[in-house]
Amino acid sequence: MKNEHYIRCHICETVNYDNSLTSECRRCHSKISSSLHDSYTKTLALLITAIILYIPANLYPILTTKQFGVNSESTIIEGIIHLWELGSYPIAIIILIASVVVPILKFLLIIYLLVAAKYKTRSTLLDKHKIFYITESIGPWSMVDVFVVIILSVLINFTGVRIYPGIGATAFALMVFFTMLSALSFDTRLIINHEKGKNFHASK
Amino acid sequence: MIKEHELDKLIICKKCHTLHEKVLIAENEKAFCSECNVLLYHNDSDMLDKMLALVITASISLFVAFQFTVVSINIQGMEKSLTLTSLFMVLAEHKQYIVGIMFLFLIVIFPIVIIFATFLLLFFMKIEKAGYLTKRLLILLAHLKPWSMIDIFFISLLVAMVKLFDIANIELGVAFLAFVLTLMLDILITKSLSFHQLWEIHHQIYGSIDEE
Repeated sequence: MKNEHYIRCHICETVNYDNSLTSECRRCHSKISSSLHDSYTKTLALLITAIILYIPANLYPILTTKQFGVNSESTIIEGIIHLWELGSYPIAIIILIASVVVPILKFLLIIYLLVAAKYKTRSTLLDKHKIFYITESIGPWSMVDVFVVIILSVLINFTGVRIYPGIGATAFALMVFFTMLSALSFDTRLIINHEKGKNFHASK
Repeated sequence: MIKEHELDKLIICKKCHTLHEKVLIAENEKAFCSECNVLLYHNDSDMLDKMLALVITASISLFVAFQFTVVSINIQGMEKSLTLTSLFMVLAEHKQYIVGIMFLFLIVIFPIVIIFATFLLLFFMKIEKAGYLTKRLLILLAHLKPWSMIDIFFISLLVAMVKLFDIANIELGVAFLAFVLTLMLDILITKSLSFHQLWEIHHQIYGSIDEE
């Protein structure tokens, strides 16, 4: 069945009639139709914040190893290369996917959805809904590297050898946080609206 | 425009947002989306009882997981162990406040609140009391769902252990087993705890309760 006049409440999952008369869900009274323009701007702003945070997350060391007074720092990429050289291929691949592939993929998918909300694209309504679903579900997995660093810093905490999280870990954790917020503030009606041939500015 | 109660006969797929008309299904049957094969709803009349049992077990194992040693390592006679308290001590020692606060919420506070809220919700729906509270709990749980990262923490723990495998003797603690149990229960609960059905049961028991 075509789904153009109904929206799903993202909180209680009930079906609502999509009109300008009501702005809250008929069952749980959560906000369902705040201004689409606001949702668009909010998603974009949070996404830009996340992308900016991703730069220090990669440039600054995610962990510092202090071995008998000598400090050695490594960034995410250096850590992955090091693991690869040591021959721990599975771990290197897990960290590569979690800290490089997933965040970048998520940025690209949100950018694509934002572009698709304004301009005509080749993908169908169904594809775009699926893209959004994937974007939402892969989000938290990027936290793996930060958690690994935290666990290592607890276990390797001797007087001679010590591992501790660097600035990169903080930037990375905040990056994940803002990307998740960005995906959460994306209103799925931004996907539907363009298909109706309407500009969302008009339906504000 | 169709009437409001007519809308209750419809359901929208969470993945592809296709609109479906609900059909009556027999006990223990499942309805899937015709476009993307995602589970839409499930007719399980014992859901409240089953879930209540699982949630109580999960809360006990989560308590054990947070209380005792997860893993301890031994490098040439020097020992270090990972517990929740040692974790926050070390993070405070290194002045990692932002990471520490995020960890506290994502790994400790949100999972505890989710388990506790789910327990209260199922308990009150079972005894058919406190309609307004259960409604608030259903909404709270929907908001908290994306913010619990205990499963990701466990994967990270495995990655960290593999990294240390060559240089240290690793000993698994009681809390490690408790973590495994909690995760398995968590998977079972998220798989079979249908919020769609909970809202329907809520409507059957309490009718429509409006905000004051």
